[in-house]
Amino acid sequence: MPITSRASVKASIIYLALGAMLGVILLIDRWIPLGTAVSALRASHIQFLVVGWLTQFIIGVAWWLFPPLAIGLRDDSPLPVRRGQSQRGSEALFWMALAFLNTGILLRALFEPLHSWTKIGFFSILAGVSGLFLLAAAVLFVANLWSRVRELGKAKVSQGTSS
Amino acid sequence: MPPIARTFVKAAFVYFFVAFLLGALMMLDRWLDFSRWLRVVYMSQLHLLMVGWITQLGIGVAYWVFPRFLKEQDPRPRGSDTLAWFVLISLNAGLLLRFVIEPFYLMGAKPWLAALMALSGVLQALAAVGFGWIIWGRIRAMER
Repeated sequence: MPITSRASVKASIIYLALGAMLGVILLIDRWIPLGTAVSALRASHIQFLVVGWLTQFIIGVAWWLFPPLAIGLRDDSPLPVRRGQSQRGSEALFWMALAFLNTGILLRALFEPLHSWTKIGFFSILAGVSGLFLLAAAVLFVANLWSRVRELGKAKVSQGTSS
Repeated sequence: MPPIARTFVKAAFVYFFVAFLLGALMMLDRWLDFSRWLRVVYMSQLHLLMVGWITQLGIGVAYWVFPRFLKEQDPRPRGSDTLAWFVLISLNAGLLLRFVIEPFYLMGAKPWLAALMALSGVLQALAAVGFGWIIWGRIRAMER
């Protein structure tokens, strides 16, 4: 598993644990009221589990397991000439997508409850901006992975006359 | 696919079916007015999908395909079976407890129902932490 996927999957598991803990707090609040502020944590609970856990986990595993890019395959060779990370696409773009995704998750999960508690308008803007980060992450990830959604072992790239 | 992973995935398929069945009944209820129960299972149905189906499928597949432990890390290739079974049982017990209790709670909030709901959350959170515990060491580079 490449370091890119490891970072994504490990982050997703941390969000799973955090999201589940917030779920426990929300449920305990129904039993023993912990204060009116607690209900604002619902947005963070959903964000952590749906985007932080599920989406980020899928992104990490897809980056690891999807067929490699067809680049560097010779017509006469069953094995790719280029191996490893270079056949997964742009590592830099993946890191950028991961950074945007996590920035978006944290902005939303922090500032939506903060805005609900304090009513400070700037916090609402920061929570709103999170959507742009998440959108950018989605675009970068899909653009980077798009060519790897292909039939395995069929698409070979001709590299001129084979010797 | 090891037996624990198969159980995770098969359980996920059952939740997938049940959640979609409930979803279909909830939609038909708007038209045919079946039962008031269908109006209080919205959150339960959502959790069947997000936890029972997608999360459980992810856990089962990760348990199956992630790199196995190196012998020097743990002689058992996928770590402790006991802990993996605990995760499975805790997750499903918590989810089912919530599924059964939440409609009653929404139709008449009582402290003991709320306490059982909190317990269902604790069971699911324990499963999440347990999964992190068993899988963390397996998130590693493959040996060459």
